Amino acid sequence: MIKFTRNIKRTLSINLFNGLLTLAILLIIGLGFIFTLNWLIFSANWKVVTLNLPLYAFGSFPVDQRWRPALWIISLLSLSVITLIGPNRKWLRKSLPLAWIATLPLGIYLLSGGLGLPMVMSRHWGGLSLTILLTECSLLFALPLGIFLALGRQSELPLVKTLSSIYIDSMRAVPLIAVLFFGQLLIPLFLPIGVEIDRVWRAIFAFTLFVSAYIAEDIRGGLQAIPNTQIEAAATLGLNQFQITHFILIPQALRIALPALTNQAIGLFQNTSLMAILGLIELLGIGRSLLANPEFIGRYIEVYIWLASVYWLFCTFMAVLARHLEKRLAIQKTNI
Amino acid sequence: MEHIVSAKNLSKSYTKGLYALDNISLQVDEGKVLVVMGPSGSGKSTLIRTFNGLEAFDAGELNILGIRIDASHDERRIRQIRKRVGMVFQQFNLFPHLSILENIVLAPVQVQKRLQTEAEEHAMYLLAQMGIATHANKYPSQLSGGEQQRVAIARALALKPELLLFDEPTSALDPERVNEVLDVMRNLAKQGMTMIVVTHEVGFAKEVGDQVLFLDSGKVIETSTPNVFFSNARHERSRKFLNQIENK
Amino acid sequence: MSKKLTYQIVVLFLLAILLSILINNLSINLSRSGLQLSFSWLLRPASFALAENPLPYSPSDTYAWALFMGWLNSLKVILSSLILATFIGVFIGIVRTVGNSVLGFLAAIYITLIRQTPLLLQLMFWYFVAFLGLKDSIFMPIKGMISISNKGIEFLGLSLSSEFSALLFGLSVFTGAYIAEVVRGGILSVSRGQWEAFRSLGFSEINGLFKIIIPQALPAIIPGLTSQYLNLAKNSTLAIAVGYSDIYAINDTVINQTGRTIESFIILLSSFFLLNLLISNLMEVINKITLNSKKI
Repeated sequence: MIKFTRNIKRTLSINLFNGLLTLAILLIIGLGFIFTLNWLIFSANWKVVTLNLPLYAFGSFPVDQRWRPALWIISLLSLSVITLIGPNRKWLRKSLPLAWIATLPLGIYLLSGGLGLPMVMSRHWGGLSLTILLTECSLLFALPLGIFLALGRQSELPLVKTLSSIYIDSMRAVPLIAVLFFGQLLIPLFLPIGVEIDRVWRAIFAFTLFVSAYIAEDIRGGLQAIPNTQIEAAATLGLNQFQITHFILIPQALRIALPALTNQAIGLFQNTSLMAILGLIELLGIGRSLLANPEFIGRYIEVYIWLASVYWLFCTFMAVLARHLEKRLAIQKTNI
Repeated sequence: MEHIVSAKNLSKSYTKGLYALDNISLQVDEGKVLVVMGPSGSGKSTLIRTFNGLEAFDAGELNILGIRIDASHDERRIRQIRKRVGMVFQQFNLFPHLSILENIVLAPVQVQKRLQTEAEEHAMYLLAQMGIATHANKYPSQLSGGEQQRVAIARALALKPELLLFDEPTSALDPERVNEVLDVMRNLAKQGMTMIVVTHEVGFAKEVGDQVLFLDSGKVIETSTPNVFFSNARHERSRKFLNQIENK
Repeated sequence: MSKKLTYQIVVLFLLAILLSILINNLSINLSRSGLQLSFSWLLRPASFALAENPLPYSPSDTYAWALFMGWLNSLKVILSSLILATFIGVFIGIVRTVGNSVLGFLAAIYITLIRQTPLLLQLMFWYFVAFLGLKDSIFMPIKGMISISNKGIEFLGLSLSSEFSALLFGLSVFTGAYIAEVVRGGILSVSRGQWEAFRSLGFSEINGLFKIIIPQALPAIIPGLTSQYLNLAKNSTLAIAVGYSDIYAINDTVINQTGRTIESFIILLSSFFLLNLLISNLMEVINKITLNSKKI
């Protein structure tokens, strides 16, 4: 009986404490919300954002050519929507990956010009369109490289295994900014005289080298998760080593690694912002250069909140897209 | 005439002195069904897996469909064998990322270089024979165990094999699903398919088997016709084993 | 066997060709710019000032000493962020797993905000808005003990520069969000039965959590924690964005002054290698201690 009342007392005191705590937190949240709303509407000066929207999107791309990056971003967004809806027609579904890969040459063509379009030098690329280009390009190059490295690390050839391991481990031990810095300052030193690669492509090269090591580890995790019996079943059907890798191992490893690969993609999208301190004017770089403009001096909070929202929106969108893809490709646990 | 399978003095040891296969010799002729029985750990899985090179052995030699392999485990010959020998596993081992139809068509198209349309037609014919043609566009995880195992049999048959190996094909199934797989196997035997079957299904062995090989600790204890083996086994160990599975 | 050997020889051969082309290009480029590889410049005076130096330093000291200061500065900010981030991460991780719903919701918002925006942006926010934004108005939560202004933080006589403070808070709040997820995963890996067991023994929730659940979750938490610490160390190189003189920032200055790109890059990589080694060994020791204490 005594124990019973003690228990009740304890429960009561916990509930009382919990209730008071909740009330206090709600009060703080409420005050914070009112304060923030007040600031957002009355104190903040959003001109630094509203007057410069085209700059955030396209950087210093020639004004009469802005339709080109715009067209590219629109095509990417509509492809995302199509992917999200998940078309029922089989041929449409099968051509989706190809369409995604095709957006890359399309983007490069639209940004750089040629073949009927006026050329635009890469130093005029900027803003969100440059951020997206850096992300997509590096990702699409890093994926096959990562797959090769993962296979290399699993290889039976000791030399290939060692080399892949050394590459992956040392790349993962180094800060990204050091690799990007290597890309900007050191690559020119390793090229023959007269050969030059411009800043954007050097950045993409460095991002690719860096991300491929991380992708390799994610895919290796996927490879290791495939039961050995899958390989046996495939070998029994007479498939050779290459066919087993191509038809059985890689597709399954990619599906298993998809959540991890999504995180890499989101991380890469955020990390392209590092180029802002290494000489490219991508999304964050635009924000920095606007803050250096006397007209908008001191408008840090507005710019940062705006940029954070754009990054947040895109990253969340990427996560949603990937989760959708995951659901569709899911290998449900077979009832074994 | 030549045997479809002939093994001569096959031996394989895991650690020194402990044999997985101990000096095994056997023959299987065309159109015959050999049932392999034995307690768990007796080496029956190891034995059947040597027949298509999933398992290497240390001594002896093997002649499958006229292709000779020995302890050197020659990769090229093993691949030649695999193209002509089908295998069905206990856990089905379907490819989870491919649809049922894609599972079946993969090897005929990639290995035998047959036309996609022709291979698909053949696959649909096989699925219809198994009574699961309506599932062609589903994925393995959407099927029951018995259905998955029938797909696995269709996948093995798609290569038009001259010999089929079954490694405990019904052990992972719910009891009420066992017969739908055994029926398919009975039909195959009737059509004259040469088969080696590792199983505990006494009824199936009696009805379909031409010979029963009883294995214990990697040794062949006896080889008899099902009639003799199940009613009048010659060896004490065989009788003990039969008692045990009957008591289950 | 011989086929495998051939493949490997081909790989080695291709790699050797690639490397020799690259090295050849490098030596041509270096001789054109008149900068042969050498490390003797490290002993020349650096002649730049440092805002922060844990040991005595003046511009007449050598480049080597300046770089060492940078390394110490890195170590300082990494170790202190590591401690703060762990506190934040453990607290948020626990709140998200067992806290009341309002707190859990707040924690979830914190995690998505931090994880879905770039760290660099967060660091700039901490520096330009949270610290420099204070102007010179001094914010004193507890009178006399702590004061926060655009000069940094004064805490019981310990003074931290605004650059250091921004980096400390930025890195800790960022890494804390990741550590929270590691801690949450670890706590969830302990079976429900353990909770019921300690409740039936009369332990309070908090007591049971720290005495029963967390010790069992540690083996699952420590590997994740180690990789977060290594990430923190790598991320600390973003110090350059807020003007804190860490090893990367000083390397950057050195390269601008001397043009010694390759050598500085080698130094940067080896200092990082050293930092990584330090952290992994530290975690190895912690791992052993927790494993041993579990055995008793």
